[in-house]
Amino acid sequence: MTDSRPLELVPRIEPILQSVLAENALLRQLADGLGSPLNIVLPGALAANVESFRAVYRAHRLRGHIYFAHKANRSAALLRQLATTDAGVDVASLAELQHALGAGFTPDRVIATGPKNREFLWLAARTGVLVNADSLDELSELAALVAINRLPRVRVMVRLAGFAAPGVQLISRRSRFGVPFDQLTEVLGRLDKHAEQLELVGVAYHLDTIGLPEKAVALEGCLAALDECRNRGVPVWSVDIGGGFGVNYLAEAGQWERYTSELAQAVLGRRPPMTWNGHGYGLRNEAGTLRGALGLYPAYRPVSGPGYLDQLLTTLAPAQRRPLGELLLDSMIDLDIEPGRALLDQCGLVLARVLEVRTGSADLLVRLEMNARDVSLEEHGVLMDPVLVGAGDRPPEPTEVFLLGNLCLESDLITRRKVTLPARPRPGDLLAFVNTAGYFMDFSATRALHQPIGRKVALFRDGDRWSWCLDEQYWPVHERTEAA
Amino acid sequence: MRYDDMTEAIGNTPLVRLDPAVHGLVNIDLYAKMELLNPFGSVKDRAALQMIRPLLAGAAARGDTVVELSSGNTAKALALIAGMHGLPFKSVTNRMKVPEIKDLLLLLGAELDELPGQAECLDPTDTEDPLSRMHRTLSDNGSGYVHTDQYFNERNVEAHLHGTGPEIVKDLDGRAPDYFVACVGTAGSSTGVARALRQHDPDVRVIGLVAAKSDFIPGIRTIDEVHEVGLFDPGVYDTLETITSDDAIDGLLTLVRRCGTPAGPTGGGAYQGAVRHLRALDATLTSRKTAVFIVCDRVESYLSYLRDRRPALFGRPPATNDVRVLTADEIAAAPTVDVEEASRWPGLVIDLRNPHAYRALHIDGSINIVDELFAELLHGGLPFGRRQPVLLVCPVGEKSARYAALLLRMGHPEVRSLAGGVIAWRDAGARLVRD
Repeated sequence: MTDSRPLELVPRIEPILQSVLAENALLRQLADGLGSPLNIVLPGALAANVESFRAVYRAHRLRGHIYFAHKANRSAALLRQLATTDAGVDVASLAELQHALGAGFTPDRVIATGPKNREFLWLAARTGVLVNADSLDELSELAALVAINRLPRVRVMVRLAGFAAPGVQLISRRSRFGVPFDQLTEVLGRLDKHAEQLELVGVAYHLDTIGLPEKAVALEGCLAALDECRNRGVPVWSVDIGGGFGVNYLAEAGQWERYTSELAQAVLGRRPPMTWNGHGYGLRNEAGTLRGALGLYPAYRPVSGPGYLDQLLTTLAPAQRRPLGELLLDSMIDLDIEPGRALLDQCGLVLARVLEVRTGSADLLVRLEMNARDVSLEEHGVLMDPVLVGAGDRPPEPTEVFLLGNLCLESDLITRRKVTLPARPRPGDLLAFVNTAGYFMDFSATRALHQPIGRKVALFRDGDRWSWCLDEQYWPVHERTEAA
Repeated sequence: MRYDDMTEAIGNTPLVRLDPAVHGLVNIDLYAKMELLNPFGSVKDRAALQMIRPLLAGAAARGDTVVELSSGNTAKALALIAGMHGLPFKSVTNRMKVPEIKDLLLLLGAELDELPGQAECLDPTDTEDPLSRMHRTLSDNGSGYVHTDQYFNERNVEAHLHGTGPEIVKDLDGRAPDYFVACVGTAGSSTGVARALRQHDPDVRVIGLVAAKSDFIPGIRTIDEVHEVGLFDPGVYDTLETITSDDAIDGLLTLVRRCGTPAGPTGGGAYQGAVRHLRALDATLTSRKTAVFIVCDRVESYLSYLRDRRPALFGRPPATNDVRVLTADEIAAAPTVDVEEASRWPGLVIDLRNPHAYRALHIDGSINIVDELFAELLHGGLPFGRRQPVLLVCPVGEKSARYAALLLRMGHPEVRSLAGGVIAWRDAGARLVRD
C-alpha cells in the first residue's frame, strides 16, 4: 500500500499572508539587510482574529474579556496593535506585565496568571490588574503584600483544578497548576479572612487538552463553584476558561491523513523511511503491531479557534444536560478566555536563507542559516512545509529535503522529517515558515554558539503597498506619511 | 430450551439468506450471520465469555476487578458476565462516543474511566501515551485487576475459530462460502472466522472492511487504527476496503426496513460493503456462489448516532404553538417592559432560565419554568388564564420576546417580555434574591 508521490503538507495561507509572500524583492531586501533568520509579524492580521472570537460571543449573547496570552509571542508591535482592539492581555511574568502596561493596556484589560514572584504580585496589585491566583498560599501572600504596603483592594480569581464528572470518571492529565476543586471551602474561608485586601470576582480553569468532554466537566464545575460563592454572599460574575482553542495549520485534510497513514506504514517498515533515522514521532513497531501514540499536534484541525469555542459553548453540560453557553447566560456569568495561538493565526512568519544544498547521499540535505530553536515547529509537533520564496518563477519540481540547522550539533535538525518544496532549492534561496507567530517564533530561540537570534520586523500596509519597521519601532499610529 | 445460566445461550445464531430482490445480486446467495441474537446483544458475547472464562475463578478468589479497554459491546458483555459472578467491572476508553452505550454500561453497574484528550501544548519529553501507561498498570501482578485484553488476546480469535466459523460451515451444509465479508474491529471475529473457513476451503475470499480515516463507525477501526490491534494480520484479508459512516447507515436502513433485521451500524456497514464488493463480481460469474457477512449488534443503542448524522430520519412535523413558526416581525413586535415597569408588575412573573441559575438569583416573587418545559406546556395550550397578566424573563430578553410573541399569537392579551432580561435587571441595580 505504499505510495511514492511526494508527501506534501501545504500550510493554510490566508490572503494577508499570501500578499506578503508575493513581495519577493522586499523579503529579499529585509533578509539581506537584517540577516537570517528574520521574524516578521503582521499586526494588521490581529483585528480579524479578535473579531471572529467576538462573533462567537455575540452569537451566544455572552459578554466577557478576550485576554491575549502574551507568552505566545514577545512582539511589541503585536501587543500595541492589540491594544487598539477590544481584547485584553493575559500576562504571566513581571516583564510581560510591564510590557502590556507600556503597550497601552489599562489595568482593567489585564489579567495576571501563572506562577508569580513578589515583584510581579506587587506591580499587579499596585496597578490594579486582575490576579488569577494559582494556589491558597498565593492568595495569602498577595493579601499580606496588600496589607503591608497599604495597596488598594485587589480583584482576584482563583484557578481551580481536579474537577469530577458525573457517572464517568474522566481522567485528566495531572497539572501543576490550580487549587483542587474539593478545597473550594478553604479558598472561600481564606478569602473571607482577607476580605479587606482581596475581592473575588470569579473562578478559572485552564486544561491542557484538546478534548471537549474534559473542558465541559471543568466548566460545569466552575459554575457550581460560582454558585457556592454566591451562596456565601460573594457576588461573583465571571468565569475564565483559559485558552487552548487551537489553530488549523494545514490547507488540506487529505494531505494530513495521507501523511499520517504513510508515517504509520514507515514505522512498520512497509515503506521507505520519511524521517531522520526512522524517527516515529511517538509511534513504534512492536512485533509488527503499531504501539505508542502519535506525538504530533493535529495540524489539520477544521474546528479550531473561534469554532472550537463555539463548539464548547454548544456542548451539553454533563450533569445539567443543557448547553454550557446557555447555562452561563442563565446565571448571568461573563465568559473570559485566554487564547494565544488562536489570536495569532496568520500573524507572522520566519524567514531563513539556504546556505548549502548537499547531494551525494540518497537524501537531499538543505542547510539553513537558522537553527531548530529559531522556528520551534518540531518541538511543538506541528508539521507543515515551508514556502520557497519566489518558487513561482521556476518550473515545478516537487522535492523532498531534510532541513539542517546552523548549530554544530547532531540534533540540530529543523525538521526530523523530509519536507516537500515545490522546486529544488539553491543556495541563497529564502524559505518562509509561515503562520509561526504563535509560540514558534521567539519562544525557544537561544544564543547558543553565539549564533544570532532573529531580528523581528513588523510589516504593515502603507497605502497600497507593504511597508516595514523594526518591531520595537512600531506603534499603531496610522497615516504615518500623510500626517506630516 | 433449558439453560442453567445465560451464557449458555451464547452462539448458535441463525444464518439467514437475504432476499435477492433487496440486494439485487443474481448469481450470489447472500447470507447474514445473525450475531445480534446473542443474549447480551452482539458478536462480542462470544469473545467476552471465551476470554473471561479462565480468569473467573482466580478473580473471584482475589476479589479482582475485571477490566477491558472498550467503549461498546465487549464492555457490555463483560459487565453482564462479571456481574453474574459478583465481580466489579471497569471499562477504560479513550472516548465514549455513543451516549446510549455509556448510560447502558452505568446501568449495568460498570465503572467507566475516560482517558484524557491530546495535550494542546505538546510535551516532547512525554513520549508515553495514556493508553500504554494504563496498560502497564493493569498488567502488574497484584494490581487488583484481571485484564481480558481483547485487542491482543488469542482467545478472542478462538471464540470464532471454534464457534462462529464452524457454525457457518455447518449451516451451509458442510461447505464454506465463496466470500466472507467482515468489518475489522478487534479483528477477532474476522480472523477467527476466516481461519475456520479456510481450514475447510483454502480458496475462500476474505474481504475486510475498515472505516475511512476521519470517519467514525462504532465497532469498526479506521485504516490507521487497525495497525494498533495486536490480533490484526493483513495477511488474513484478500482485500481491505474502506466504508464510510454514510455507507454504514445506508446498509443499516436496508437491513432494518427491508430485511427484518434490526442491525446496528457495524452490521449495516458489512452489508453495504458486501453488496458493493459483490455487485462488481456478480455480472462476471457463470456459476452460483455464496457470501456471508456478520450482523454484529442491534440498532437500538445507536439512535443518537443516527440522529446526529441523519436528522431527517427523525423529522416530525412542527408541533402546534411552537416558537419556530413565528415570523421575525412577530418577534420584533413582542410587547416589552423595562426594568422600572417590571419592578411594579402586578401579575405572574415567569423566569425561563435553568433551575440552578434561578435558585442562585432571581426576581423576588417570580416562578421558574425552564424554557424547554415551557415550550412543552405551550404545545398543549395556554397554561394560565387570559386575564392573568404574565411577565416573561430570560437572560437577555430574547427568548422571553419569542415566547411573548407566541402567547400573543395564542390569544393571550396581557403578556410582556422583560427588555434586556435579568442581566439588564441586574445591571440596573434592581434587587435579586436567593431562597
